[in-house]
Amino acid sequence: MKTIHVFLIFIAVVILQLFVPAKMIFDKEAVLKTGTVYKFKTRPIDPSDPFRGKYVTLNYELNTAETMDSTLRRGDKILVYLETDSSGFAKLHSVSKTEKNSDRDFVEAKVQWYNSKSNSVNFQLEFNRYYMDEFKAKPAEDIYREYNRRRDTINKTYALVAVQDGEAVLKDVFINDKPILYYIEKQDNQ
Amino acid sequence: MKSKLLNELPELLEHNIISDDVASNITAYYQSKADEQPNRLFTIFGVLGSALVGLGIILILAHNWDNFSKLVKTCFAFLPLILGQVVSGYSILKKKSQAWKESSGTFLFFAIGASIALISQIYNIPGDLSGYLLTWIVLGLPLIYVLNSKAVTMLIIVFATYYACELGYSFGNADKAPWLYFAMLLGTIPFYINLLKQAPKANSTSIFNWLYALSLTIILGAFIGSNWSLGFLMYAMLFGLFYNLGKMHVYNNQQLRRNSFVVIGSLGTVILWMILSFNMIWKEMQNELIVFNSYEMLISIALFIAALGLLLYSRKNKENLKFNLFQYMFILFVVVFAIGHSNYGLGTIFTNVIVLALGVFAIKIGADSFRFSILNYGLLIITAMIVCRFFDTDMSFVLRGLLFVSVGLGFFLTNYIMLKKQKELNHKTLK
Repeated sequence: MKTIHVFLIFIAVVILQLFVPAKMIFDKEAVLKTGTVYKFKTRPIDPSDPFRGKYVTLNYELNTAETMDSTLRRGDKILVYLETDSSGFAKLHSVSKTEKNSDRDFVEAKVQWYNSKSNSVNFQLEFNRYYMDEFKAKPAEDIYREYNRRRDTINKTYALVAVQDGEAVLKDVFINDKPILYYIEKQDNQ
Repeated sequence: MKSKLLNELPELLEHNIISDDVASNITAYYQSKADEQPNRLFTIFGVLGSALVGLGIILILAHNWDNFSKLVKTCFAFLPLILGQVVSGYSILKKKSQAWKESSGTFLFFAIGASIALISQIYNIPGDLSGYLLTWIVLGLPLIYVLNSKAVTMLIIVFATYYACELGYSFGNADKAPWLYFAMLLGTIPFYINLLKQAPKANSTSIFNWLYALSLTIILGAFIGSNWSLGFLMYAMLFGLFYNLGKMHVYNNQQLRRNSFVVIGSLGTVILWMILSFNMIWKEMQNELIVFNSYEMLISIALFIAALGLLLYSRKNKENLKFNLFQYMFILFVVVFAIGHSNYGLGTIFTNVIVLALGVFAIKIGADSFRFSILNYGLLIITAMIVCRFFDTDMSFVLRGLLFVSVGLGFFLTNYIMLKKQKELNHKTLK
């Protein structure tokens, strides 16, 4: 093969290599700009990924739904339709295996198990990774624990998530309406 | 090697062993050979350097610098990628040496990983490690062919293995059979075949032999789902395929250390049979149903057909006409597996007899071809067999003791006889 042909193929590869990360950015930006923002109550824990660094896993309170669909198996994808409760947090409307004909916002989730006794499905929301500075992920978890230990109903930890067309982007994690980073910086300054 | 011979030349000349002409011919020959591959060392260091720098960049980015704005971070995500692309493009267009292509390709491969990792961080993109690795591998795969790069091919094989481990062996989570692993590996095969045609005896080709054999051996287990007993069948077929592949013309006339397929095929077969020589395994297996419409069965059948095809091909082409029991072990396994599943006692007896036969056969090959390694390999098989039986039979201690003594004596005697024979033979040929 001639060099120029190889080079042309290479250019195609280059475009693909640039296109994929760029598309990742554009998709997420679109959701951030025009999507509806929901607050999901959560519980953070910190693990790490060998290439992408430290992150905080978010365990959402929204993880079960009643459904009669007993064909759901571990690892299946389901769509979780959302609404907002009186205090402004995201609340379950319904779950469905296929897309419903409605304007309601939905997000994807992975089925953990189906309980045939209570006719309910346990699922995990997809947006459960919040990447953080490697030295801040652990303190973030500790701060969360500290605030939660008081066992009161005033302290609320939640994730701010933009949702559009089933696509969700996790924006930030909050404790009592302040980003979790605020608490870490406050702790550093002390 | 070559420098050693060149150093010897003055001495050989002095003692009139070779003439001046021969000496200058030898020097010229090695000179031209050295000119053909001037930058092999440079290539190796280039690749190692780029790999380290690339991995370093990934680690630095993984720190997750949250003081930078989103825009700055996004720029950083593309910076190494574009740099790698420019250098790779330059080395293609300017027809730079292989060292350039290998190094820039390696760097670009890691830059792809760094780029998508950073974007995942910025937007908290969910998804586990396997999904991320998949994107990375797919974007890196074409580099093998545009840059004609061995280093990228090796990286793709290693990362595909990593991907399949993540997906298939994720303990606790729902395991999934990593089918895409085969697609990735298949993507590297044309390059490998080309290498086998052009330089079957090169060091790099033998690295590939080992990579493929090890990777497949590691990953096959990820396809074992609920039908664990079929896992034995799958591995037996894989090792059968390996052994027969290793006996193909391309591999067979190479040194054993380059022929990974024969080594892993043979060792794997022996270890597998050894495990099955225990009565309790067959007993457990008898409770299991053989599910015919499972993908474990599908893989076993596919591997069986491939191994059989290779065996028939080598018979037809009259490559190694001598009977070799190792080549037929996978067929025997199917028979014993079927018998053992319905009657575990028979399964155990057959397995033990066949392993013993395998050991004797290896000794015979070793003795016929005067190869001590194979002779002792056969003896080792028998010894291992006896050690295994040491644990699960009710033989009297005296009998076990006598068995050990006799095998020990066997080691001495066979080696001694062969050594003597070889000396005689050498003596004869010298006369």
